[in-house]
Order: sequence, then structure tokens, then C-alpha cells
Amino acid sequence: MASDFTQLIIVVLIILAIGLAFSIGANDETLSALVGTGALKFKLALLIGGIAIGSGMIITSGGFVAKTVGSDILGKGLTYSTSMLLTVLISSIIWLVIGSFAGIPLSSTHSLVGSVVGVVIVYSITQEVVSPENAFNWDKLGSVILSWFFSPLFGFVITYLLFRILAKFYLSRLKGLNQIEKAERSFKWLLLVAIIFAEIWVGANSGEALGILYGLLDNGSLAVQEYFFYAVICGIFAFLGIYIAARFVIRNLASQMTDSRPSEGLIIQTSSAIILMIATLFGLPISHSHVIVFCIIGMNIAQKKEVEYKYLGKMGIFWILTFPIAALLAGIIYFSFSTISFI
Amino acid sequence: MIENKYDEDELKNKSINELTHLFMDIIHEQNILLIEGIESLVKNDFTKFKNNLECVAQTTTEVQVKKVFESKIFKAKLMFSKADRLKLFSKINDIKNIGEYLTNRMLLYRVIFPDNEFKLQLSSILKSLKLISNELTIAVKLIGDDLEKAYDICEEIKEERRKMRMEEWELLNRLYNYDMDYISRTFLYLKNMIEDIMMLADHIKNFSEYIQFLSAKYLIFK
Repeated sequence: MASDFTQLIIVVLIILAIGLAFSIGANDETLSALVGTGALKFKLALLIGGIAIGSGMIITSGGFVAKTVGSDILGKGLTYSTSMLLTVLISSIIWLVIGSFAGIPLSSTHSLVGSVVGVVIVYSITQEVVSPENAFNWDKLGSVILSWFFSPLFGFVITYLLFRILAKFYLSRLKGLNQIEKAERSFKWLLLVAIIFAEIWVGANSGEALGILYGLLDNGSLAVQEYFFYAVICGIFAFLGIYIAARFVIRNLASQMTDSRPSEGLIIQTSSAIILMIATLFGLPISHSHVIVFCIIGMNIAQKKEVEYKYLGKMGIFWILTFPIAALLAGIIYFSFSTISFI
Repeated sequence: MIENKYDEDELKNKSINELTHLFMDIIHEQNILLIEGIESLVKNDFTKFKNNLECVAQTTTEVQVKKVFESKIFKAKLMFSKADRLKLFSKINDIKNIGEYLTNRMLLYRVIFPDNEFKLQLSSILKSLKLISNELTIAVKLIGDDLEKAYDICEEIKEERRKMRMEEWELLNRLYNYDMDYISRTFLYLKNMIEDIMMLADHIKNFSEYIQFLSAKYLIFK
């Protein structure tokens, strides 16, 4: 029987995981492209988007990304202790908050996996239960890190190719504004389908919340039924995140997108959804925002528009730094906790 | 001749595109009346000059079309071109505003041209103005169906405007350096007239550049 303190930590972890699921929904901007076209009424769009993200999270909760973060990334026989999971969450939250205050867009996925690595390294060194070499499933960890580099690149390539193909065989044949308007009206409905598809895979690939819960399942703190119950709760909170909190950012972004063409949104969302789907099916947690940024760059280059490489370079540095800094921060926090015997 | 009043229901049944075309036609017709009025002045036909210009100053049918357009555009299910169509309409309206300003200024005084060469040069400018006004009307109507063709026509407008500008400076030069002195009112009248024609022609040129911007924005080249 777990001690009262451990029980308390488990409850805190479940609450934080549900909170994370809410924040995943709250930070999701995917719907703005759809709202910008005026295809659906705002509240209906939020409802559909929310249901899609929640469903994606629930449907794939039995494995995939949650299993990778919560279990597969660790070495054979190693499971998370509740204190390790708590440290992982505290560290990634601190790093993300610092990033927000500094105005740096950071990936919560990179931050979480970085924190896991930092905690596990310190754990293996201080506890001497397992050596650092055996503390990780290096194949899995390597695939995850590689996927962070390849997923944006694939997003870029797919968007570029999709646009070039569509432009060559269809868009370039539209001569007048009336024809273009008519065609874009059809794209508006295809965009709706693409956004629902994208939202499902955004939910499915958001391994932060369910990864923590899977860790609790893996170490025996949660029974299977309890895990699925909380996974459903996470799905509902992701829905609420979109419906209650994301509406402001979606409305704001959508108002800036009234000039953008649904065909462009369709290509960008389809490309990012394909990447997210493939990554999820391989159990690889990737950053949705990184993929979207590269899809937009792919679109700009295909349209021979200018790209702000200076800004991109700055963003790239923070993307690369997120993982090691999160790992370092998590390692320091975990070491401090173990030094003061908090855990 | 410009219709005095349109049937309100008939206007309401027209699409955004059709209303834009109708509005352009009305403004173009007024422009032609104005230009032909000035041509009559050059030929010392004061009656036709006065009739034409008064017709331009008094016609308000475009206001009727404008009101229907404005009420329709906000409800229109156009997605991304709404702002551009609104701007297009306001640019057509600006032609009317400039034309009206020019008309009212020209009606202030009854001028007699002292110099035949001046008359010839002015006629040539008016011919070019008529040409670019015609071409602009065609370009505006092509926006809905063929932006590429509209782009090419606008290129021709810009070329004609370049030619016009040189003639206008020559005309002003002639005005300032004429052997005999004009009476001050005549000088001022003719100077203002040339400058107002330049202003109208410049607006047409800027408008054609805007159409080219729309072509570049919306057309996706292979």
C-alpha cells in the first residue's frame, strides 16, 4: 500500500495531467484557419474542433505516444516513480512559463521529453539502480529526437509539393476573381474535413498529459480501468480547453486570416495532419507548432513569397535549446529534491 | 444618356459583380460626358459644354447603386476578396469625386482660348484621357473573369499615361511662356484645368496599378 504522501503525489499528478490536457486544447490554434473562412459559426467550429481533439486523445490513449512517453522511452525494467513524474511536470511547466514570459515560443513536447531525460539521468546516477547507459531505450529515444528534425522537414516538403501540384493542375487555371471565389468556396468545405482530421491527430499526438498517466499505469499506481477513465477525462478537458479558453486566440488569429485562401489553409493543415498521423502511428511525440511553421514556410517558398530567415534562425536556436535546458533544469530539480529528502 | 433613376428592386437583384460593373459604367459615362464637354469648350461650343458638365454635376444615379452595393457587400458570402472588392468600388467612386470637382471648377468661369496650338495640344490630351478611361472600364469588368487580360490592359493605361504626362508639361510650359499675357482669370482657369486633368489621369493610372496588384495577389502562375 502506498504511503499517504505518495497517494497525494498521485492525486496531484492526475490533476496536473488533466490540467495539461486542458492547456493542450487551450493553446490549439488549428481552428483559426477554418473560423477565418467563415465556413461555420464560431461556436459550432469550437464544438467540432473540441470533439475532434478530445476523441483523438481518447482513441489513441491505449498506446502510441502515451506509451512512448510513459514507458517505452525508458530502459528495460525501469519505470517512473511518482516523484520522477512530478519532477518532470514541474520542470517542464517552469521552463514553459519562463519561455512564455520571455516571449519565446517553446515546444511542450520537447520540454517534457527533455525533462524525462534529465530526471532519469540524475535518477540513474544517484540511485544506482540502473546505469545511465541502460536507463533509456536508446532506439526509441533516438527515433523521438530524430523525428523532431524530420517532421518539420517533411511538413515543408509535403506542403511544397502539394501546393505545386494543385497550382499546376488547378489553381493556375483559375483566371478571374469570380472563378477563384467559386473554387475557394469548395475548398472551404474540404478545409473543414482537413481541420477535423488535423485536430484528431493533434489530440492523438499530445503525449504530455497521457504520457504522465501512462507512467502511473506502468508503475502500478493506476489500474487499467482507472487509466482509461482519466484518459477520457483528459479528452473532455482538451475539448473544454478549446471551447472555453482557445476561443480568444482563435478569434484573434481568424480575424487576421480573412484575406487568406481556404486552399492554402487546406494544404497546410493536410500536410501537418499527415505528419502528425504518421508520427502518432509510430508512437513519436512531435511538436505540432514546429511542423505548422515549416508547412507555412513550404507554402511561402512554393508561392515565391519572402521568408523571414532571421526570425526563423532565432526560433530555431530556442527549438534546439529547449531539450537540453529542460533536461538540465529537471536534473537540477530532481537532484535538489533527493538531496533534501523531499522524495 | 445617363438614366435618372434605377428600379430599386432591380438593383437589389443584381450580384456584387454586376453592381460593380453598373457603377463603373455610370462613372465612365459621366467621365466621357465631361471629356466631351471640355472638347466642346475647345471648339467654342459653350452650350454643349455647359449641358454636359451640368449633367455630370447633377446626376446622382451612382449614389443609388453605391447604397445597394454597400448594403449587399457586408452580407455577401464572399470569403477573402470582400475587402478588395470594397476597395475597388471606392476607387471607382474616387473617379466620380475627382470628375465632379473638375466639373464644378470648370463651370465657374467661361474661358476663351486665345491660342490655337494650345487647343490642339489640349485636344490630344483629352483624347488620351478618353482612351485610358475606356480601357480602365474594360479592365475593371475583366477582374471577375480574366485577371491576366486586365493586367495587360492596365499596362497599356500606364504607357498612355506616360505619354500624356509629357504632353501635359508641354501644355503648362506653353501656358506660362505664351508670347502675349493672359488675363489672370484665364491663366488661373487654364492652369487649374490642366492640373485637374492630370489629377484625374493620375488616379486612373493608380487605379490600374491597383488592378495589377489584384492580379498578382490572386493569380497563381504555373
